[in-house]
Amino acid sequence: MLNPEPILTPVAIAIPWLAAILAVVTRRQARVIGCVAASVSLLASALLLHFAYAAPGKDSLGAALMVLFSSLALVGMLVLARRDCSAGTVAGMLFVLGSTLLAYATENLLILLAAWILTTIPFFLVRWFGARTWRPRLALLLASIALALAIGLIAANGHGMSIAQLKGQSPGGMLVFGLLVAAVIFRKGICPAHAWVADAAAGGPAVPTALLLNGHFGAFLVAKLIVPLFPDATRHMFPLLSYLALATALYVAIRALTENSPRRLLAFLALSQSACILAGLESRTPEGMTGAFVHWFVVTISTMGLFGILRLLEVRFGENLTASGHLGLAQHAPRLAVFFVIFGLALVGLPGTLSFCSQDLLVHGTLASHPLTGLLLPIAIAMNAVSIFRLFTRLFLGKRRTGFTVMADALPRERWILTAGVLFVVLGGLFPNAIVALRPLDAEAAEQTIDSPASPVQASRQKSRANQVIDFVSGEWPADPSRQ
Amino acid sequence: MDLSQAMLVFVVMAPGVVFGVLALLWLLGWLPTERVLSRITGLTFSAAVFALALIIWKLGSTGAPAVVVTFGNWFNVHDYHFPLVLMADRLSLPFLGMTVVLSGLIGQFSATYLHRERGFQRFFLLLHLFAFGSLLAFAAGSFDLLVAGWELVGITSVLLIAFFEQRPAPVENGLRVFAVYRACDIGLLVGVFAMHHWAGNASFVGGLPALNGTQQAVVGLLLLLAAAGKAAQVPFSGWLPRAMEGPTPSSAIFYGAISIHAGAYLLLRAQPMLAQSRLASALVIIIGVLTAIHGTIVGRASADAKTSLAYASLTQVGVVFVEIGLGWKWIAVAHILGHATVRTLQFLRAPSMLHDYHQMHSAIGGAVAPAGRHLEDLVPEPVQLWLYRWALDRGHLDTLLDRLVIDPLIRLSNLFAKLDGLGLDQPVSRREKVALSLHSPAGQGGD
Repeated sequence: MLNPEPILTPVAIAIPWLAAILAVVTRRQARVIGCVAASVSLLASALLLHFAYAAPGKDSLGAALMVLFSSLALVGMLVLARRDCSAGTVAGMLFVLGSTLLAYATENLLILLAAWILTTIPFFLVRWFGARTWRPRLALLLASIALALAIGLIAANGHGMSIAQLKGQSPGGMLVFGLLVAAVIFRKGICPAHAWVADAAAGGPAVPTALLLNGHFGAFLVAKLIVPLFPDATRHMFPLLSYLALATALYVAIRALTENSPRRLLAFLALSQSACILAGLESRTPEGMTGAFVHWFVVTISTMGLFGILRLLEVRFGENLTASGHLGLAQHAPRLAVFFVIFGLALVGLPGTLSFCSQDLLVHGTLASHPLTGLLLPIAIAMNAVSIFRLFTRLFLGKRRTGFTVMADALPRERWILTAGVLFVVLGGLFPNAIVALRPLDAEAAEQTIDSPASPVQASRQKSRANQVIDFVSGEWPADPSRQ
Repeated sequence: MDLSQAMLVFVVMAPGVVFGVLALLWLLGWLPTERVLSRITGLTFSAAVFALALIIWKLGSTGAPAVVVTFGNWFNVHDYHFPLVLMADRLSLPFLGMTVVLSGLIGQFSATYLHRERGFQRFFLLLHLFAFGSLLAFAAGSFDLLVAGWELVGITSVLLIAFFEQRPAPVENGLRVFAVYRACDIGLLVGVFAMHHWAGNASFVGGLPALNGTQQAVVGLLLLLAAAGKAAQVPFSGWLPRAMEGPTPSSAIFYGAISIHAGAYLLLRAQPMLAQSRLASALVIIIGVLTAIHGTIVGRASADAKTSLAYASLTQVGVVFVEIGLGWKWIAVAHILGHATVRTLQFLRAPSMLHDYHQMHSAIGGAVAPAGRHLEDLVPEPVQLWLYRWALDRGHLDTLLDRLVIDPLIRLSNLFAKLDGLGLDQPVSRREKVALSLHSPAGQGGD
């Protein structure tokens, strides 16, 4: 049977880039060009996923993420307010789409580095997608430098650039591992490098910034490089990164409690929830890793919906929206209010949505891996739920403001695409196995890779501290490893 | 699938399907009229009552202990499964019956009570979602599925508290209730995790998961946290008067009947586990006694009818907790059924009763003389004054929660904001903090 991958992958990646050039050159019908290009990418990615899933033993992570991200770009194009839908914005989003898909698709370290840098370029330029403050630029720069140094060191040690060939070899040792972790911390916004995310959301364009954040390159680097390439270092050092991720989830959740800028608040919530993805990946349990993968979908769709709706509100009611008082916008835009509350609660585990499944798995995975620190996860999620509900009540409920003229509720284009998003999170919640089934084999394999002991003695010593704590809580004292 | 199984699925799913279809149609631009909505509601719950009667008849005639419907696993990963099992046994059937009968009655009452009210459609949509959540929680065959129904009850409860969304107080109080619910639900989530971790499942079809003594105590305490939050037990009672901001029919069904007893149902379901742990049983009894005393004292100082009814309700639920702690399972069930029915009637009667009293006072030319002796007269006058002040502040429970939990959290949040060095938005000031939802004044009764 003919392998379609060499054709479909370039199509998925190149079409958005070509369309970006077309949009800039013609400067007409930018939204149409963007939607067509994103749709073509989506179709090609879906076919890639189909073939990857059909081929036994083939990793479907990259293809699944390509489908997700091209869907996200399509949603972004459609939810983009008319005021924002310039040729430059559409071209930038298409450029980010093509670059992100290249990163997801590649098996070569140099190409991954190039794609990683390309996705950040529009956000360095203030006239394009760049925020007004310096922190986003610095964080993205440091993340790129860390990754470049890590790949440079791998090359300097005489290793090849193929990711598949480097699996399990720990190329470059702990220094490269440390640099890769640093890249994750800066790109993902893990504490203490978290502040840039809120700055980017507050000072940059809402929808393109949501696209940048939802690339989840930090989590991708963990799943694609760190776990497969460094099984030994992962076994010993991963709990540290896991604790950092859990601490970030909680820190940012607490920070969001008193935040009154809707954009910053949404950025904090997105960050806190996406830190849960990292915590799940690092839990080293099938439940946690699968939960992380499903949560990736949830966070991506929900935050894009929330940022999109917030931007639609800003376009209608002004850009100085604040959560310090009630604005009563539901009187003017009841459907946008309903979409907002559904996406918001879908982000924090509303039953009947996909996040109920993902958070169930995440909580089980992280608690099984780290019983005490894992408790931070449900606490952080509960705080996030309070924050998103506070934002909803402040924006949409309360006395109707008379200063606003009558404004249109969700337009048909917006209504249909937001309904599609709602249907995705709801149908995904009702039938989660459709998404869960995309990944569990890989999760189990990854767990085996990390936990495979070298000898029976090593196996007996590898009883995790987590299990010992659980045994202690349940009244069984942990066995003394020295006596085994 | 036999008849009783099909009926059980119908009872649970019917309100959920009605909610889903109506919500989708509304999102796409269709709004049903009041008449259509009330007819659909009446039909749905009448059919559910009929279906439930069939289940009871079938169980009675066959002598089977329960109707169980297994749909397999909602999702499964490696060794972890989320089972989709519905079960109607002798414990869940009374709760299912109470839910469908009272939801139907509330639906009929509200069709008149909320006629031409803004949000009529929203109320009925949420009523269906609430009924679905409650039925799912009561008919769940595992703690996993119970969590889903439990969360739905919580979110509909909050959205109905904020029903009169143009006034800030209901909205802010709804947020406060939501925060308490979510905080206490952590106990349920972690408890379910612990059951999975130690016993490999959280199903209660054919008995509770097999746990040893310490494990049962840990899980029992975690479930108690969730139950106490949902049932507004001490120290979480402060949210109950705030919840009275919602429309009277929703107050009746939530805080007079179903939602307030969901915590008791959880404990009844876990009662064999609690019975094995003296610590957990003792705590259930202590919390119940404290809540009953708290409820009866504070209720006597409440100035509005709905709040005083809410505290009366709280007192009874406290007594139910004591019964559960003592292991008097079926007395507790009978108590819940009787209490829920009477309290619903009282809540629904409260607005018109006040009107009737005013008419009566006008007719006889003055207020009716108080009858009977008040229990508070039994204590010395200084103690009476102290108790009065204590009751006016609702046992200082909200103040304690604010000082011990919310204030430190807000201070921490402000500190984090300073650490972030944002400079773009100032940390929340003291004055603004008071305006924050979490500090809003308690409700004084809704419409």
